[in-house]
This record gives sequence, structure tokens and C-alpha cells, in this order.
Amino acid sequence: MNLLKNYRIEKRDHVSPLVLALSALVSLVAALMVTALLVTISGGDWKEAFSSLFGGAFGDKDAILETLVKSTPLILTGLAAAIAFRGKIWNIGAEGQLFAGAIGSYWAFVTFESLPTVPLLIIVFIAGCAAGGALGLLAGVLKAYFHVDEIITTVMTNYIVAYMLALILSGPWKEAGSVYRHTPALPDFVKLPIIVPGTRLNLGFILALLAAGLFYYLLKKTPLGYEIRALGSNPMASRFKGIAVSRTMITTLFISGAVAGMAGMIELFGSQYRIRMDLSTGYGFTGIIVALLGGLNPLAIIPAGIFFGGLINGSVRMQIFTKVPAALMSAVQAIILLFLLASQAIVRYRIRRVDDVD
Amino acid sequence: MLTDFLQTAIVISVLASTVRIATPLLLAALGELVTEKAGILNLGVEGTMLMGAFVSFLVANQTGSQWMGLLGAIVAGGVISLIMAFMSSTLKVDQVVTGLSINLLGSGVSLFWYRSAFPDFNLVAAELPTISVMEIIKIPLLSEIPFLGPILFSHRLLTYLAFLAVPAVWFFLYHTKYGLQIRGLGENPRAIDMKGLNVTRLQYLAAIFGGMMAALGGSFLTLGSTIRFFPEISAGRGWLAIVIVIAGNWRPARILIATLLFAFLDAFQLQVQGFGVQIPYQILLAMPYILAILVMMGGRLRSVAPRHLGIPYQRE
Amino acid sequence: MTMEKTPEPLENNSAELVIQTKGLTKRFLNVVANDNVSVDVRKGEIHCFLGENGAGKTTLAECLYGYYQPDGGQILFKGKPVKITSPNVAIKLGIGMVHQHFILIETLTVIENIVLGTEPMGLIPKLTEAEAKVQALCDTYGVDIDLKACIWQLSVGQQQWVEILKALYVGIDLLILDEPTAVLTPQESERLFEVLQQMKENGLSIIFITHKLKEVMRVSDRVTILRKGKLVDTVNTADMTREDLACMMVGREVVFRVAKDDVERGEPILKINDLHVKNDWDQGAICGIDLTLHKNEIVGVAGVGGNGQRELFEALVGIRKVEQGDVKMNGDSITHLSPRQIMAKGIGHVPEDRIRMGLIPDFSVAENLILGQHRDPPARKGLNIDSQYVKSFAEECVSDFDIATPSIEQQTQLLSGGNQQKVILARELNQKPRVILTNQPTRGLDVGVIEYVHGQLLEMRKEGVGILLFSEDLDEIMNLSDRIVVLFKGQIMGIFDSQEARVDEIGLLMAGVTEDDQ
Repeated sequence: MNLLKNYRIEKRDHVSPLVLALSALVSLVAALMVTALLVTISGGDWKEAFSSLFGGAFGDKDAILETLVKSTPLILTGLAAAIAFRGKIWNIGAEGQLFAGAIGSYWAFVTFESLPTVPLLIIVFIAGCAAGGALGLLAGVLKAYFHVDEIITTVMTNYIVAYMLALILSGPWKEAGSVYRHTPALPDFVKLPIIVPGTRLNLGFILALLAAGLFYYLLKKTPLGYEIRALGSNPMASRFKGIAVSRTMITTLFISGAVAGMAGMIELFGSQYRIRMDLSTGYGFTGIIVALLGGLNPLAIIPAGIFFGGLINGSVRMQIFTKVPAALMSAVQAIILLFLLASQAIVRYRIRRVDDVD
Repeated sequence: MLTDFLQTAIVISVLASTVRIATPLLLAALGELVTEKAGILNLGVEGTMLMGAFVSFLVANQTGSQWMGLLGAIVAGGVISLIMAFMSSTLKVDQVVTGLSINLLGSGVSLFWYRSAFPDFNLVAAELPTISVMEIIKIPLLSEIPFLGPILFSHRLLTYLAFLAVPAVWFFLYHTKYGLQIRGLGENPRAIDMKGLNVTRLQYLAAIFGGMMAALGGSFLTLGSTIRFFPEISAGRGWLAIVIVIAGNWRPARILIATLLFAFLDAFQLQVQGFGVQIPYQILLAMPYILAILVMMGGRLRSVAPRHLGIPYQRE
Repeated sequence: MTMEKTPEPLENNSAELVIQTKGLTKRFLNVVANDNVSVDVRKGEIHCFLGENGAGKTTLAECLYGYYQPDGGQILFKGKPVKITSPNVAIKLGIGMVHQHFILIETLTVIENIVLGTEPMGLIPKLTEAEAKVQALCDTYGVDIDLKACIWQLSVGQQQWVEILKALYVGIDLLILDEPTAVLTPQESERLFEVLQQMKENGLSIIFITHKLKEVMRVSDRVTILRKGKLVDTVNTADMTREDLACMMVGREVVFRVAKDDVERGEPILKINDLHVKNDWDQGAICGIDLTLHKNEIVGVAGVGGNGQRELFEALVGIRKVEQGDVKMNGDSITHLSPRQIMAKGIGHVPEDRIRMGLIPDFSVAENLILGQHRDPPARKGLNIDSQYVKSFAEECVSDFDIATPSIEQQTQLLSGGNQQKVILARELNQKPRVILTNQPTRGLDVGVIEYVHGQLLEMRKEGVGILLFSEDLDEIMNLSDRIVVLFKGQIMGIFDSQEARVDEIGLLMAGVTEDDQ
């Protein structure tokens, strides 16, 4: 302890973005090391696991394109989390809002099935966003007028939506004659167009990129974005200076829910073509990690989303070739997040030597 | 149907189930109460419960001993909450985000570990790994009392523990030295710091206690309930525990009442399912979550929260 | 060492030192708060640390109390070098401190606050013994407090006493008080001084931190003057005049009274009628007040904090609901308007807490300057915020108001308090308000900025603005106001013309003592 006596830990007044990015990188490496440890303890070969993981993610052209497909919903749920978190509004309900979007868009499809493709897709798209947005709106209204924490509302609605989905998949929407609880497959004319023939990469990915650009513009340049950021930094001063805090919160949650709903619609009409209970395997939650890894910046969320999309994609090959369960990715993402948070906290401080005039 | 329902046997069954179902909620909520009184908002209760459930299952399965299983859960809870305490109290990371990460960690690690430990994915239900569930301990004499006996005195060890914990935690908080310090900590950590007390150490202890309780609550979901484990077995109970602390105004007695309310609802809907009522069971299952939202709508609940809850303390 | 030892008569010039620093230095990031400071405090004296805001007096005291650790230098307690690594160590040595912002736990009782963390308090504390001891202390100093009451039920003056009792209870040789009279009425301050004298006669040494010259002259034996972190001198109070001290404190000749031009009062602009406002706990904070503000005038609202100032301010700004009564501006009712609508009517405000209520800490200076105007032209052009306009507006403000900042992109949380206040002023004054509400405008600022702010307010007054000034600093109120209003427990106790106002009369009203009681 004597050595530590001459050192003091104190806060830096300013952390450069470069340092932050570097610390993100360091935390990724540290997380991968812990993951390797985890794999080894459970009896696997971490070298094999990692190589098949990254091979499956980015190893060849097909892998990369499939990764982009897998990253689409993550970019969108990342945006959902990011825009809310910028306002210190904790939308944990992207998972439920995603499902709501799938449900809403499917309902729109079933209702307006007879329309030609383009108007049908537009209606379906709007319905998906509206359904997700409605859940967000609900959370916003409950918070603004009934003081219910949005964390509680959004977490609870995740469970409620899951049960509702189970209900409609067992009954009204179940594919007739199937043992599985899923909807009938979507007909070809309503599926989102594939943009690289021979792959699954569809229009959804482009929509996700556009959404990221739109959100970037919204946050940086518009008065609404200004208000969201102000709210996130100091709600009291915002209120003093005339920002309608309740209205901004509700709007933000609506937008957040809507883009998560968009993710649901795109997953359904772009890649999976059926609603199943596992339409989303935690994309809503992974989105939160994507958002934080991207520093809540819509443009940085694109590479962050692609990274996690790669992990999910690669984990399939990993499981097939090395018997390490794909479920490892669920653990990995949490480990990455923890290390990221820790590293961001640590770089805010530095060690200083203390002079003693004894 | 109402007359059927009011038959004594059914009432007893529902009330006994209420006590049983309350067990994991109560343990987790009391643990979270102490953590929050010390100023730490631990949203990772769900993940901790899940890890408690899984680790106790795994250890019991591998060693054949339920006691080892319980011990495993306690250790797991301690380790996870150690991470939470380190991030919140030492590194002063935002507690909401840390709690969410802990949930994801518990979710991910339990799932991965389960799949690794029991790798044959295509097992028929009968071949899935199992453990033996804890025995019901009937308290001699008391369990013979008509009506009250089966409701209150024929339960498993963890249930008795959970209910005894209510007065124990109350006594600790309001009549001991450390309880006083913890109560002061959540309200005004600077006051505690200025008194020369160690804020960090108190927060760690409070968080670790909370984690162990949550994990014990989780272990009830396996050791105390069912012979099998399945992913996400905690099904949002950790979140309900958090709501219960708020609904209970951060007081042990009221937390007990809030817990019983949620548990009763769950017990009730289980019974109703058995009647073949027309309401789809999924809606019944969703009721506790709807209730949670409704409960939180009740006005100025939050105003009695510890003043400094969720705010990291730093000497300026 | 306790207070109960038999008092020995002490000579004023006893060379026995209770505490001493040699070359003490303390840095925060790039700021040197204490620069090679050497002071000593004698046994049985009342020693003042004098300096303006930011001089380093509190930092020095916190080093003595172990809250901060010095980066250089030495501390000697009763002649022996010590390392005071935490308040725990300080308490054990016999040093107690009463901070400017109380560190009491509001939901616990008086006795619980006092007894917390002391030894010996067994696992299950028995409070009766402690209660007796504390009661004895209360009797010694004539203090009347219900030991079983919760802190939030006590008045501010009583809460300060709990802070003092906390220190006395554990037995101390040195008591440090940081700006204790900031929250007291003039009468309560006088009472405190008497008690300090009594303590001194009982053998206690006292460090009294203040920026008020009157107090130094009234109560201290010796005074140490600090300026911008450095020691200026330590002198015997008896040899000094107020002017001498002021000069040492600021480094130049100080003007004591701001030159206030004679301006004729204009027509009424803001009429408050039978206003009732509740506080956060649903109790009445403002209980029926009538007030009229005119153009070309400053009305000063005097009163100890916690008597409804904050609630009144917030109601006028529009963020707190008015339960009853109304507020009219130029005849139009603004009682239930939103903050945005009230701003549009021409009411500007400078809140009491710059960082918590006035600025967005993460935002740059430029972004903060358009806060409130960001939705309207010229800051908004089409769908976007016009970044060109924002930039040029910010540059204009920085030069007009002499805001010291490395750039307009600098985050406001990194600016000094004075510059933050200037940002707020620039923002508000640029809207050409017709009424300005300002709450504690110079709290925590150094003399230079205080003069600047006062100057701006007087300038606005000359130009026809009606200013409502809330301040706990009675000197500021007396200096600036045309009329003075005394607020106590949500009611107006009296309205005076500033020429006729007398400090003692106002002081009594601030404490709620009406003419009938006198």
C-alpha cells in the first residue's frame, strides 16, 4: 500500500473522442479474452470457435452479405435505443415494439391483401411503424401523465406482447394444418425486393441505412433533436426555458417505438416471411448494446450493428463446426457491454503523482 | 362457478399457492430493498434470479445435493452483485445501463452454460436433465390447524426463510447500527462520508446482500418448484420484485403486502385456468405484468424513494 | 477530549497552536485552489478565514477536515505532523466541521443524525444515553430542539444547530464553520456569535470562514486573508479596519456601495394578486401575496431561504402551478401560461442554480445561448436550426458580455461560475425582456463578476425594465433595490422604500417577528 500512497486518482476534465474509441477497442479485446476463457471452461476450443465465428461472419462474400441481413434489425433497434437514450428516456421495450411492428404489418397485409404490391408495401410499412410507435406512445403517455417509469412500462409490455403473440399464433393466425405455431408464409409478391441476387440481402438493409441517416440529421440539426438532447442533459433547465418536456418525451418514445416496429416489419417481410415466436431472438436487447457501442451516434450504430450482426451470423457456423452453442453470443454481448461501460468509466480518470514536502 | 370457487378446498389451495408463489418475489424484493436503501438502483435482479435458478439447478444436478445447489446460488448471486457493486459504486457507471447489462449477462451466461453443460439439443422431454425438488416441511402441530395449517405451515424451507426475512430485514434496517448507516446512505451519502464512514464498503455489502437474496429467490424456481430448468425461467419476476419495492414504499411490511397481492393474482389465474374458463390462458398469464403497470400508476409512489437512489456518489 | 473539562483561563496571545499548515497546496485538475498556504490557529481563539468566492478558504478547511488530501505541504495538529486522510481521522483528532450546505439526513431524527457513525454505538444502538448527553449540550448553550424530530421538520437555523451538535457530541478541540450566517437572519447570526464566544471561553478553538467583513470585525481575534489561492496575510483583527481587510481580500480599492442612479419609477408592469402556490410536498409555500412591480425599478425580495422564494420564482416563470390568485402583465393575465408563452410576453429569468436550472451542461456555449429560442426564427430556418446564425449570435454575445471561453463550442460545464452566469445573462438580455426575475444572481461569484452583474441589472433598470430580485444577501438587496419586500413563510411581512429601510427592522421581519411581537 505504500506505493499507492503517492498516487492519487482524479477526474479528467475532458476525454477526447479518440481516447473513447480506443477504449472501446480495448474493451472489445478484453471481452473476447473473457469469452475465450468461457469457451475453454465449458470444454470447447476457443481458437476453433473464434475462427469459425469470424469466418462465418466476414469470411467470404456470402458470409458478409448474410451478416448485413442479420445486422438490419440490429441497426434499427439500435437506433430505437439511441434516440431514446439521448433524451435519457430508457426504452427497454424495443423487443416488444419489434413484435408489435411485425404483428401490425402482418395485419395490414391480411387486411389490404388485394392491393397492388407497391401501395400494399407502403401501407404495411406504415402499419408496422405505427404499431411499434403506438407502444412507445403508450409508454410516453403513462410516464408523462401517470408518472409510470418508462422502464417498467416497456419491460412489462415486452412480456404482454409475447403472450399476446402466443395467443394469436395458437389461434386466429396459425397456419392451418401445421404443427408449428406460425403464420402462413408470405406470398412472393409482398416480400421486400432482394438487392443482391442470390443472397438474402433485401431492401430492408437500405431502409435501415436511410433511417440511420435520418436520425443523425434529426438529432444534430432539428429543433426536436436539440430538445431531445437538452432533455437528456438537463430536464430542469429545459423546462425552465420552455421546452415542453412531456410532449418531447412522448414524441421521442413514439419515434423510438416506430423504428423498432420498422425492424419487425422488415424482419417479417424481408427475411423471415413468417411470424414465429422466435421472429426476434433478443434483437431489441442487442439493439441497446449496439446503441451504446456506437456511442448513441446514429452513424456509428451502423458499423456497431454490422459487428453484432456478424457475431450472430458467425455463431451459426460456429455451432455447426465446433459444437460450441450459438447461445455463446448472448453471453458475449453482455460481456462486451460490461467491459465497454467499465472502460468508458475508467478513461474518465487518470493517476497523478503527489509531491510531498515532508 | 362462483360457488365452486368458494369451496374451502379451493380457497385453501389458492391461498397456499399464494404463499408459495410469493417466495421468490419476496426474497428478491427484500434484497433489492436493502440495496436501494443504500442508494444503488439494481435493475439486474432478473438476471441475478436467473443465474440463481440455473446455478442451483446445475450444482444440484451435478452433485445430487440440494444444499450445494443453494450454496451455488448464493455464490452466483454474490459474484454477479459484486460486478454490479464494482460498476456502480467504484466506477460510478450509470446504474440503469449497468443493471440492464447484468440482466443480459445473466440471460446469456445461463443459456450458454445450460447448452454447454447439457449438449444434446434434441432430447425428448423425458430425457432432459432433472433434479429433485425440495421437500415440503410440515411444521409439527401448526400444520394441523384447520384452514391455516395447509396455507401457512406446509411449505418448503425457502418459503419459511422468505417470510422470516421480512421481520429480520425490518429489524436490521431500523434497529441496528448498520441499518441506520444504510438508511442514511441512500438519502445523503455525503453525510455518511463526512461521518468518516466508508460509503463504498456499505454499498458493496448492501448490493451483495441483495444479489444473494435475488439468487436465492431464483433457486426457488428450480429447487423449490420444478425438476427441470428452462431458459428465461424467471419470466420477469425480477422486474416484478423491483415494482414491488416501489409499490411497498420501501418498507418491509408494505413490500410483503404488495408481494402477496401479485402472488395472489398469479395463484388465482392458475386456479382459473384449471376451470376451463373461456379466457385464453395467455391473457391470464399476462395479468401480473398488467397489474405492475396499474400499480405504478398510483400517484406519488416515487416520492418516498431514497433521495440519492441511482445517483453515484463522488466527493467533489 | 471532551467539552466537559474544567475551563482554564486562556490568554489571548497564548503561543500554543492547535493546528498549523506549512506550505499547503491543493490542486483540482488545472486549478490551484490552495497555493503554498501557511496558517496557524491558536488554542482558544476565534480565527477567521476571509476571502472572496473562489479564494480557497473552503478548500483549505476541507483539507484540515480530511475531505481533501493536500498535494503538497504539511499539517501539524498540536505540534505533531499528521496526515488527515479522511474525515474519520479528523474527527478522531478532535476536529469538527459545520459545512455551508448541511449534510444532514432529512428523513432521520436529530438524535439519529448526531449519533450515526460514532463510537461506541453498539450493534443495537441505545439512544437514551446519547439523548441525555446531547440534551446537556443543548442546555449549556440555550438551544431548544426536539431530539426526536425529523430533520425536515426543523427550521434552517435549528438544522444548523444539529450540525454543530454533531461536532460537539464527539468532543472536539477545533470547530470549523463554513459561512454559517448565509442562512440565518441578522438576529440568529448575532445569537450564533454569542454562542461562539461562550465556546471560546470553554477552551474551544474556532475557525470561521466568511466573505463578510462585518462578521470578521465582530467576532474574530485574528484573521487570515486568502486571495486566488494564495495567502495574503494573517493579522490581529483589532489592528484592522474594514477597508484594510477589503483591500487585502480583493487586491485593490473596493467600492462598498454601487453607484445607483436616480431613476424615476415607471408605470406598473407586473401585478401579483393574492397568489397561492404549493411546494413539492403539497404544502402552502406562498400563502396569499400581493405585489406590484413597476418599470424602471428593482424590487428586492429579502428573506432566509426556504420561505417560498423558490416556489414564487417558479410560479412566475411558469413551471409551477398557481393554486389561487393571479398574475397580470400589462393587464393581461399570465397566471396559467406555459414557460414558453411567458417568455414570449417578455419575462426573462436568471435562476438560482446556474448549472442545474439555467444551462444545459453538455451543450456548448453557442447552443446554450439559443436555449428557449431554438424553435423560432431567426435560430430556426425551415426545418433546421440555422447553424450560421447560431455561430454569429454566439460570437456577438461572447464579445458583448466579455465571456471568457476558449471557444463558442466549449461545453458550459467547463466554464467558471462567473462566465456561466454571463452566458445566462447574455441569453436573457438579448431577448429584450420587459421584466427580469433573478434569483440569487451573485451567489458563489467573485467580486469582479458581482460588480458586473449588478451593473447589468442597474443598466436594465435604467432602460425601463422591471426587476424582481430574490436574494439571501441582505447587503445586495439593500444596495440594489428601490423597494424591499420581506418574505417569511410565504407571506409578505412588510414593504419598504429602500431609503427608509433599516437592517434590524428587516432582520426581525425575516425571522417572522412582527410589530406586535416586538
